[in-house]
Amino acid sequence: MLSLSSLISKASSLIDPNILPPSLLNQVNGSTNDGQTPAVLFRSNFRLPDSESPLAVIPCELSLPTGEHYFGRLHLSESFLCFSSSAPSSVSGASSSSSSTAGPPSCGFTLPLVAIRRVERLHSRSYLFALAVTTWHNDQKLTLQFNSLRSTCEKFCEALKKNLRSQMSEMKNLRMLVGSCYSEWLVTGGKSKDGAKEEPDAGLGMVWKYPGDAKKLRDRSKMRLWAEYLRENGRNITLIRQPTFHKLIRVGLPNRLRGEVWELTSGSLYGRLFNPTLYTDTLTEFSGRHSLSIDEIEKDLNRSLPEYPGFQSEEGIGRLRRVLSAYSWKNPDVGYCQAMNIVVAALLIYMSETQAFFLLSTLCDRLVPGYYSQTMYGTLLDQRVFESLVEKTMPILWEHLVKSDVQLSVVSLPWFLSLFINSMPLVFAFRVLDVFFLEGPKVLFQVGLAILRINGEELLDVTDDGAFISCLKNYFLRLDESAHPRSDNEKLRAVTRFQELMVVAFREFSGITEQTITDQRTRHKDSVLSSIESFAKRTTLRNLGPESKRLATNDLGYIYDRFYKVLYERQERLAAIELEKERLNEKKVMSSARSISEKSINEKGRIGLGPSSQLMDYDYFREFLAGVAKWAIADSPSQLFSPGLGGSLDPQWGSNGRKKSINLSPWGDNAEPADHEFMQRLFRRWDTDYRSGLSLQDVVAGLAGIKGKKDIMESISYFFELYDDDGDGRVDREGILRISEALLFITRRGWETPPNIGDQNRNSEGKGGTDPFLGSVSGFIRRCFEYADPDQQGKQEEVSTGVEGMDELVDLLDLASDDEDGDSVKSPVKEKELKGKDKEKDEESGEKTSLDIDANTRPSAMSANIALDPANPLHITLPTFRMIVLADEVLEYFFETGFADSIVLSTDGSKTPSGRNVSAGASAFGNLGGGGIAGAKGLRGVLDNIVNDGMRVAQEVRRRMDEAQKEMERNAVPGKYKEDEEEEGDAKSIMEGDRELLKGAEASVVDEAAKLAIKTGIPDDDGASGTLLGSPTSSLATTHVGEELRTPTTPMPTRVEFEMDK
Amino acid sequence: MAEGGPKPSSSVKLVLLGEAAVGKSSLVLRFVNDDFQENREPTIGAAFLTQKCNLPSRTIKFEIWDTAGQERFASLAPMYYRNAQSALVVYDLTKASSLAKAKHWVAELQRQASPGIVIALVGNKLDLTSQSTGLENSMGGLSLSAAAGDGDEEEEEEGDARQITTAEAKSYADEEGLLFFETSAKTGHNVQEVFTAIANAIPESTLKTRGGPGSNRAGNGTGGDTFGSGGVNLSAVGETNKDGCAC
Repeated sequence: MLSLSSLISKASSLIDPNILPPSLLNQVNGSTNDGQTPAVLFRSNFRLPDSESPLAVIPCELSLPTGEHYFGRLHLSESFLCFSSSAPSSVSGASSSSSSTAGPPSCGFTLPLVAIRRVERLHSRSYLFALAVTTWHNDQKLTLQFNSLRSTCEKFCEALKKNLRSQMSEMKNLRMLVGSCYSEWLVTGGKSKDGAKEEPDAGLGMVWKYPGDAKKLRDRSKMRLWAEYLRENGRNITLIRQPTFHKLIRVGLPNRLRGEVWELTSGSLYGRLFNPTLYTDTLTEFSGRHSLSIDEIEKDLNRSLPEYPGFQSEEGIGRLRRVLSAYSWKNPDVGYCQAMNIVVAALLIYMSETQAFFLLSTLCDRLVPGYYSQTMYGTLLDQRVFESLVEKTMPILWEHLVKSDVQLSVVSLPWFLSLFINSMPLVFAFRVLDVFFLEGPKVLFQVGLAILRINGEELLDVTDDGAFISCLKNYFLRLDESAHPRSDNEKLRAVTRFQELMVVAFREFSGITEQTITDQRTRHKDSVLSSIESFAKRTTLRNLGPESKRLATNDLGYIYDRFYKVLYERQERLAAIELEKERLNEKKVMSSARSISEKSINEKGRIGLGPSSQLMDYDYFREFLAGVAKWAIADSPSQLFSPGLGGSLDPQWGSNGRKKSINLSPWGDNAEPADHEFMQRLFRRWDTDYRSGLSLQDVVAGLAGIKGKKDIMESISYFFELYDDDGDGRVDREGILRISEALLFITRRGWETPPNIGDQNRNSEGKGGTDPFLGSVSGFIRRCFEYADPDQQGKQEEVSTGVEGMDELVDLLDLASDDEDGDSVKSPVKEKELKGKDKEKDEESGEKTSLDIDANTRPSAMSANIALDPANPLHITLPTFRMIVLADEVLEYFFETGFADSIVLSTDGSKTPSGRNVSAGASAFGNLGGGGIAGAKGLRGVLDNIVNDGMRVAQEVRRRMDEAQKEMERNAVPGKYKEDEEEEGDAKSIMEGDRELLKGAEASVVDEAAKLAIKTGIPDDDGASGTLLGSPTSSLATTHVGEELRTPTTPMPTRVEFEMDK
Repeated sequence: MAEGGPKPSSSVKLVLLGEAAVGKSSLVLRFVNDDFQENREPTIGAAFLTQKCNLPSRTIKFEIWDTAGQERFASLAPMYYRNAQSALVVYDLTKASSLAKAKHWVAELQRQASPGIVIALVGNKLDLTSQSTGLENSMGGLSLSAAAGDGDEEEEEEGDARQITTAEAKSYADEEGLLFFETSAKTGHNVQEVFTAIANAIPESTLKTRGGPGSNRAGNGTGGDTFGSGGVNLSAVGETNKDGCAC
């Protein structure tokens, strides 16, 4: 029968939203305000492993075999059935009020499904829906009466049934676990058939004694009380937590049960249940292996609780070594942190190695997250939280400390880091741990605050760190003394200082709840992480090696920021994409998938949280470069725009694609980086350790190589070496072409030419950054072949004849470059300009070249082209390369400053193209404007096309060369190859390029027709190629193309707009 | 308490930095208690000790902050070297990497700690090198011969695990303007000397602002301190998140 009061409380549990467990609330609200997901809260409430997620919940009344009733909620997860009472029932109400109001629920259980032997549906009253649950320990039967709609109850039962079945396989593990539990042995006396046959390992204390005087600790009577409780309320895996349970823990656990109860209350027991062999497997797997952590552990083994006899023995040291090593292997991100040795040593006094291993995992993962991490951010964060709590709860003391310049954390940090173990005498530290594992990290704060409160008077007299520390040290040494030695009341006199401490901690500071801590941590997290990061940055920058000295400090800082930004943002993004894929794949597992991924995403992303990956692979590198150099930004983002379309993409489509919840581009909102052979070469060159990844140091050294040197000669050598693959001081034909490609690639978005270079070009064509450069590059190619050395001496006579072929080549080049722009609209007026400029250009190049090679040598060369003859491999050497570069004013300038300046580091944050939400085109455009060269240039579509054309020129040159080579191999009549080929017309082997050759030859004939076609605006492939036939230099041709495209018919503006939109 | 003595007395904050297990705590223990323990618990966070050092003209009370050496504790260090007037940067003579770490700490202190901080570079564990034989008696001390440094030490002289020559460390110390000592916390060799040298090197002016009239305890207040170098320190500390205290 239900009493009236229980009915009331039942009703209130249904009405009052505050009683709802947070997990439920969050399911309703969708998300939480402090970043904790419902699943995370659910797991931490019931101390469940990370694999669990809340699947179902139902209001319910629990009736225990001992006669108590509790109202609360029953939760189901994949492998657990959990209950927590929402309000104390009338029976237990009085007693539970003595525990802190913010304490754990007065009754509850976390029952692994595998520990349930049987579930029966009770039919006693038809209008009630009730289950009787028989647990592993037969003597126990729980009655669960659901308070919900019948359909909900049915559904819950169905889910329960399903999960119960799936857990059957864990039975073996359960047996093993139960057998290793001391409680089993205690209750059954070693007689149970499933239970332990011999006394289970309850830590080193069984051999070397437990700390403290067992008599004084009243260990025996505690044990009796526990035996009684365990008999009535289940044990280990099936234990029901009633208010008595909490009280029994508050008075201190008996030695031999301590380890097991720690496991149980912290939840590490469940980790052990499901991974019974993880510990031994880890040890086996890594046996004999070495790591930094192993070395560090070894150093500390002899200095972990050295005063405890167990740790003066090989046995104790061995256990400590194994547990710490196993954990360092299992969680290499944490590895080993000093203080872990002390904590683990303490645990090992009361529990077996395996138990300690899992408890350590639980500690690091959940109870004191980040305490022992590489950056120890958790430690620093909790110090900040502690300070703010002191300020809030003891303002006078706080003010005094501030005024005296006493830094609280110098005292309190070791308290938290070693869980009071090396601050207080061990017996008392363990008492604190008892409650800590039960109630969570807030206990550390409560005890810390209580220590300050109790010593407040004395602390107010203290004016420096030293006195502050010694005052508290003194206090800790006298914890076992009477708190009120002069009191007349005998009972009061019997109260020890430690008891007083516990009372103050849990009564006076009962307002400090888990939620308080979570909120405070959230509040301070950012600033703590930033300060760690600024420290890490400072340290790292200082240790970057000698190369880094060649860069300015603020440049280094910028590289550092950029490096890690790219690294972490990209990781985050990839994780998000992965998650999104998962979500799309299977909606059902969404909740669990999300909770897991959210965790992993949150854990990454900041240096302060500790390192994950410290190397950039090539894709990261591309993204990095795209942020510092505009040439490293792709021209036509592959995922959003089809390559050939330039800017003519339908903006509607684009924006719709972008507005979807998550940007699935691996580049996120950043500009998509280009992927050019030059960048691959850079990457390989910078990757000095051949790890296929760049460390920060590599990147700094690499950038120092480009930006750090001001000497043009060095800069030229650097470039040359990039292409000298085998390091023999020679760059072959292939390399020459690649160099010219790279030059065009780097400058395709314009670069800061000096005001007086290439002026003529600019005047005649309007403003153009790239244009004079194209001329220089084609000149460069020409001269390279002109001055190249043949690889073999015998063919030398052919050198002089090499240039004519080059001329041809250049012609081909011209036509080719225009060929692909056949769709662009041309005007006859422009055509004329072109012709006029033609001459100008010729003269100009003659003037510009100090070596005076251009005009004279070119016409004289007439026959076979060595440049194209594969039988005559050739190369240029560094001196040649240098000479050729220096022969051209524009190239010279490029190598002097242009190349280095094309990478923009810290000069001005707003100018760098790395900003988020700026797409490739938009940022490149903005940057050009900022650079001041293209102010009048207007639309970026123009730019893009110029760029594309420039690239194509080089590509075309290559293609032609290759084909010509093939031809020559076939014909061995180099001089006539062109005609021959046209005649032969080998249809099958004709490639596109061949056809273009053909067109080129015919073009003069169809020239007029073509022009006509253009005039009428008909996009005619043949015609387009014809228009430029006969222009003598490639530079002119391409210049022309660029110019032409500058007509405002390009659709670029729309694209820019839409990108801004997004 | 320090009473009676006519000599002026002032306190000096000293911080110990250096790689893990180079013997920082042992040096302090030797200096403070003239004791040595083979297996000291690693320092968690930092330990605080005080010891007086009597100079002919005055008494210096060292407030010693002994910090944890493990790499990851480095981010806590600013909390401890805040306002320090002197620092002992310790390395292990028998471990090459420890000098690199020491150099790092010197750089950190020079940039982030109080300007004018007195830094001593100390190579510890001299007892593990061949030089140690007989050193306890004859205080011949710092023989600058780097003989032990070249060749395969382990093969040539069994007792010598030295990896860092005196010359190498000395020239670095000179370059950076550091005091330099090689010590053994185990035998006590040179330990007292280090602290005395630091005490002597502390400029009188910094002491005056601290010591003030009367007992050091009253005047030692941080008020004076914050006026001087304090400002700079606070900003350094602020960076490392402990500004909660500073404002």
